[in-house]
Amino acid sequence: MHIHDPDGHVAAVEADFEYFRRKRLESRVLHFLRRGVITFADLLRADAEPERPAWADREWPDADAPIRYVEDELDRLVRGIAAATVPHAGAAPVAIDDTRKERGDYDPFFRIATRGLGEGSLDERLARLDAELADSHRLLDAFTRALLARGRVTEEQLAQRREQLSTVGHHNGARIVARAWVDEEFKRRLIETGRVAVRELDIPPGRLGRLGVAENTADVHNIVVCTLCSCYPHDLLGNPPWWYRTDEYKQRIVAEPRDTIRDMFGLDVPDGVQVRVHDSTSDVRWMVLPRRPAGTEGLDEEALAALVTPESLVGAAVVPPPEA
Amino acid sequence: MFRAGDRVRVLTDVPGGNPRTPHYLRGRTGTVVRAHGVVENPLDHHDPYPPLYTVAFPLPGGDETVADLHEEWLAAE
Repeated sequence: MHIHDPDGHVAAVEADFEYFRRKRLESRVLHFLRRGVITFADLLRADAEPERPAWADREWPDADAPIRYVEDELDRLVRGIAAATVPHAGAAPVAIDDTRKERGDYDPFFRIATRGLGEGSLDERLARLDAELADSHRLLDAFTRALLARGRVTEEQLAQRREQLSTVGHHNGARIVARAWVDEEFKRRLIETGRVAVRELDIPPGRLGRLGVAENTADVHNIVVCTLCSCYPHDLLGNPPWWYRTDEYKQRIVAEPRDTIRDMFGLDVPDGVQVRVHDSTSDVRWMVLPRRPAGTEGLDEEALAALVTPESLVGAAVVPPPEA
Repeated sequence: MFRAGDRVRVLTDVPGGNPRTPHYLRGRTGTVVRAHGVVENPLDHHDPYPPLYTVAFPLPGGDETVADLHEEWLAAE
């Protein structure tokens, strides 16, 4: 597998989509129906068939564009689900991991169905993903409109929630890195106290365990993995890259990190530089503080932050110098 | 209690212990690099686990794997 492996990339989108569809969207709709927050009739009244061009009629600037498109549509769905679930009367926590019951361990009666999204050629898989994503967007739209129609949420609450969610992403990670590059004292506090120091940048400290910050130096190159699942400080930094959740990455990186970094990311860590792999758990979620590239002496924090990539925050890439 | 610099071995099985101890580290020997004390993490587990340590495990060629493990899983080496 390589970072530019389209099959692996699409498989990651398929797996994530199935997870969000089953566990975050449809289970939530059912939960609200069962609790009487909205009714089936509300959903039917709120439904509208969206217009969209056939997959075959669309034109793409390059081969990666359709993959980025389905990835962006999934991202939009995930944000939409989060926005629609403003805390309100009738809401209750919904289990986010498959329970044993839902896996059918005790009784197949309770199993939540999964669908075979991975069959066929790459283009067939993309077309299917596009259609399935559109269906889920349609359900989400009806669900959101039904909540509004019932007065369970207000337009103001939704707008406020969307605003909050729009600032989440690797942008925050980039700001943390840029501040650490220009402010030694902040860097020290960041490494010492993690989430506490992050507040100085008006980034909400989140609630997901501790933040571990692994600083890359002339002697050490750090890389992050979560072999157990996909722990990552995503409440602070946004989501990790797609390959972070693949079994191949998890298994190889803890056994032969130097070769894995070279094979998967095309990054040669020089001899004499130690590779240090951080296995994240729910108690300490790690990020990498990459090295500041050469030629950035005159840049301000904002310009520095713009150089930081999501890959560099997990140690799969170095931050490139600014383009001349 | 362990301190940074202590050599520790990861136990192979701790009934009732934190299940999130990676299997590939069980039975391996490493060095404590940081002691975190008891970490409260109410989102992931209701009761506090025993003290948490960052432990480094050597890999061939001088590289290393670092993981955060609870005291119940560690024995002095």
